[in-house]
Amino acid sequence: MLKPSRSLYKLCSVMLSSHTPNRPSEAATKRARTMTTDSSSPNPIEAAFSGYADYLNQLNDKRERVVKASRDITINSKKVIFEVHRISKHNKEKVLEKANKNLAAVVDQHISRLVKELNGTDFWKLRRAYSPGIQEYVEAATFYNFCRTGSLLTLDEMNAALLPLSDPFSKPLKINVLDYLLGLADLTGELMRLAIVRLSDGELEFAGKICRFAQEIHRHMTVLAPNMDGDTDMTFKMDTMLQSVMKIENACYTVHVRGSENIPLLGSMDPSYPMMLPDLE
Amino acid sequence: MRLAFRNASGAAKLSINLSEAGCSSFLNPNPSFINTCPIHHHISPRNAVVSNPSRCHTLSGAETHAPPFSALMDKQFEAFRQHLEESGSLRDRFRAVATQIEATNRNINSFLLLIHQSRPMPEVLEKVNSEIDVLKRLFNQLAEIARECPGQYYRYHGNWKSETQAVVSLLAFLHWLETGTLLGHAEAEQKLGLDKSEFRIDVEDYLIGICFMANDLPRYVVNRVTAGDYDCPRKVMKFLTDLHAAFRMLNLRNDFLRKKFDGMKYDQRKVEEVYYDVKIRGLAVDGDTMVEGTEGQQ
Repeated sequence: MLKPSRSLYKLCSVMLSSHTPNRPSEAATKRARTMTTDSSSPNPIEAAFSGYADYLNQLNDKRERVVKASRDITINSKKVIFEVHRISKHNKEKVLEKANKNLAAVVDQHISRLVKELNGTDFWKLRRAYSPGIQEYVEAATFYNFCRTGSLLTLDEMNAALLPLSDPFSKPLKINVLDYLLGLADLTGELMRLAIVRLSDGELEFAGKICRFAQEIHRHMTVLAPNMDGDTDMTFKMDTMLQSVMKIENACYTVHVRGSENIPLLGSMDPSYPMMLPDLE
Repeated sequence: MRLAFRNASGAAKLSINLSEAGCSSFLNPNPSFINTCPIHHHISPRNAVVSNPSRCHTLSGAETHAPPFSALMDKQFEAFRQHLEESGSLRDRFRAVATQIEATNRNINSFLLLIHQSRPMPEVLEKVNSEIDVLKRLFNQLAEIARECPGQYYRYHGNWKSETQAVVSLLAFLHWLETGTLLGHAEAEQKLGLDKSEFRIDVEDYLIGICFMANDLPRYVVNRVTAGDYDCPRKVMKFLTDLHAAFRMLNLRNDFLRKKFDGMKYDQRKVEEVYYDVKIRGLAVDGDTMVEGTEGQQ
């Protein structure tokens, strides 16, 4: 009973696996298909299922490509974040310039791929496939932008920047609010690292500014977190975010109270004074 | 001019001016840099406001001013709050309809369970059909709400997913009882009055629903045989074998559908066992001599 259907399955899987769009498989697909109909005992269900098989193959291939693009976006956005962390008093322009270039490369090389894949489809269908990459990109872009301008890069600005990637005749890819907010939640972690290192480098003003920025983000997020389409990631991220904000606050407090004697030394550019805050790092 | 945040970097030169403590070497605006970078023509007024250097704070000073970014952030997050509240209320409305679908499913299922007691088919079908009209109405409501958020079907999909799978399984079982054939995806949509609607049944939901339906068949076979319908196992086995063969055409991912499909072979085996029991005792009738609807025949 099972024998004919097993060979049928093999034929079908040949037919289906050759369905990736990159391969010139038109002829092979056709041959396999006609063979299927020739060799099968009449199974009325299979005719309908070949349609579902095509649909699933296309969807899965697309999802796979989207996941790959998303991973590339993640890796390269991480690099941008590390780049920005190399910032110090003396190399600010150079570091930010390089980070900007790398960030632009992420958009040009990888996000453009994502946009091409998702063109004309329901962005929400494959959201889980590309969401991690987009979140990381949001994190990198907002992090870079904060170090450059001291302000928050808004979602509208980000989406306006992505607009040229989209085909002008279709609905453009827009980063959705949820991914943006999840990316911002991760941003506070990076801000915390930056603040600690900047403090130990004596940039108290900058650290204070980071502190207020992180506080503001956290404050705004507390309102939004319960309303995030039932996203369970967010509740977890809220806890982490509060931890990060408090770390910055405590570091600022330490400098404010205990480090008051050191501030003049830290503020001066005289290299003969050593840095006095090793325990903050 | 691709990135908006690049545009802002002209303003950045001013905004990062934290130099009151005296670290002026990197904090001063750097005009030569601005000139060499071609991107800085458009400095958005928003950023220009934000980056007002006079607003800089010192750690030691009392902080009376609002942070410079707060106006912009307030505005954006207020917009987010509204957006999320709207989507939240949409979600609640979807959920409300889905709960009703679930209740209707339970009704239909309770009528369908009469099948196992060998009640005559027309009686069962009559009861079920009025409930299907209810389903139709509910799915039209879903479609109507979905029209308010075009292009976001899959954003809210989770709210009616499992209910829809259950609906498909019930419809497919009914359809099989009536016709002995598999309910197609398009037919399922038609039965729910969705064939002309933007709102469709997701193909994966349909396939999962079909798997659920296969789960019900072994029990049906057992009870039919007990009621004396000895041809039933053969028919069901043929159907399940065809269905299983068709499912094997699909390249599945490691997801829920795959799991349900893997479970289908146990349903198949159970039916085969019943068929074997009937056949080996010489109870099975050859061919299609058995007429359908022979309830209670002993």
